[in-house]
Amino acid sequence: MNHRHAFLAILVFMVTAMTDAAFGETLYVSAKSAQLRSGKTSLDPVVASLKIGETLEVVKRDDRWVQVKTAKGVTGWIYSGNVSESKPAGGDNELAALGKGFRRTEASGVTASAGARGLDKASESYANRVGITQQHRDAVDRMTANKIPDEDIQTFLKAGRLGEYAE
Amino acid sequence: MLNRSSRGLFVVGLVLLATAGLTGCAEIQKAAEGAARSSGNERLAKTIHGGGTLIGGLLPIGYEEEQTIGQAIALQVVARYGGVYDQPDLTRYVNLVGRSVALTCDRADIEYRFAILNHDSINAFAAPAGYIFVTRGLLKTIKNEAELAAVLGHEIGHVTQKHILDVIQRSKQIAGVAEAGLAYANKNPDAFKNVIDGAVKKLLDEGLDQGKELESDRVGVIFASRVGYDPTAYETFLDRLRTLKGDDRAFFKTHPDFSNRLSTVRSTISEQKLKTTGILLADRFTRSSNGAL
Repeated sequence: MNHRHAFLAILVFMVTAMTDAAFGETLYVSAKSAQLRSGKTSLDPVVASLKIGETLEVVKRDDRWVQVKTAKGVTGWIYSGNVSESKPAGGDNELAALGKGFRRTEASGVTASAGARGLDKASESYANRVGITQQHRDAVDRMTANKIPDEDIQTFLKAGRLGEYAE
Repeated sequence: MLNRSSRGLFVVGLVLLATAGLTGCAEIQKAAEGAARSSGNERLAKTIHGGGTLIGGLLPIGYEEEQTIGQAIALQVVARYGGVYDQPDLTRYVNLVGRSVALTCDRADIEYRFAILNHDSINAFAAPAGYIFVTRGLLKTIKNEAELAAVLGHEIGHVTQKHILDVIQRSKQIAGVAEAGLAYANKNPDAFKNVIDGAVKKLLDEGLDQGKELESDRVGVIFASRVGYDPTAYETFLDRLRTLKGDDRAFFKTHPDFSNRLSTVRSTISEQKLKTTGILLADRFTRSSNGAL
């Protein structure tokens, strides 16, 4: 009986080690946005659009592609460059957010939205103090406001056969 | 019997416990400060107030503050390097390459913006919150898109690893200016100016520590490789820069010895098993920069 159990355990171990399966492994979407496809090429239909930080369970790995299952139960293939083993840190990590909480008591309205069009109030004040010209302020303002749609980046990657569009 | 101070601490502790599960840090601090004050312990209230500010100053800089700092530093970079090069098509191309690399970097959820500085020197800079600059002179030394991707990957690495923020954080602690915290920017423009001036000096004049530059080389080549660019392109580029040594003192003053950099890149490619894809995209780079440099 004991020998039989030991034999079965070794058999299970060997089968697991020999297959590509990576049951139980968790990955995170590390790209800003990513597509889950029905097959492992960029030509296969998209079965789900994923957002950064989403948790995925690994089903199988195959070269540059990983077959995964989403939290909603959708299974598909994702380009390996779009996933990571650690959860993306994000704009703020927990400690930074804590620091912001402590500082907030006396910081109301201090930092405006640098992500929006226009220079931040503090930056504008700094520019006044150090004598930055209007031309240079406009340049940084334009740089801040400069947006490129994700579709354009995908088209660019596709044309260069980069990322998931590689052959 | 509890003495006055202990009683104060006890009350403050109760308030903290009651508030902790429901509110944020600032509210907890405020509640504790109020409790200490209403129990008649003004000294304890002041200690809590100062402690909170101190902790806030010592904790990492948040993204909102990072954006403010990044933008102010960007203003200085543009001013010191002759302004931005007015070539919309080339700027868009640099942004497409940079954003493609940033798409799968280790901090992909923030905005990255790229601009070309109208300057002949060979250099590149990264300010916090994703403000990234390359000089016209640097672009002239680049031969293909894979090299550009690696250079931008290196700069993105400074942002993902928060190198400038680390410099600011350390300088704040050494100078004991936690009280001045960056969030005081509008109320205390002198303190903010000092912080930015110090960071600009480090970035443009002194250069970051060797360790930070090498770390950016390592993560930069990984980021570019994730998109599919051939990682050996960065080796070729660094080797080319080594032969230019002496022509551009500013760049070589602010970047570590090239043999260190090359060996870091080579060991990263080998240890991380980065694929030699052969994707250089020299034609697309030439087409995009043709006549613009």
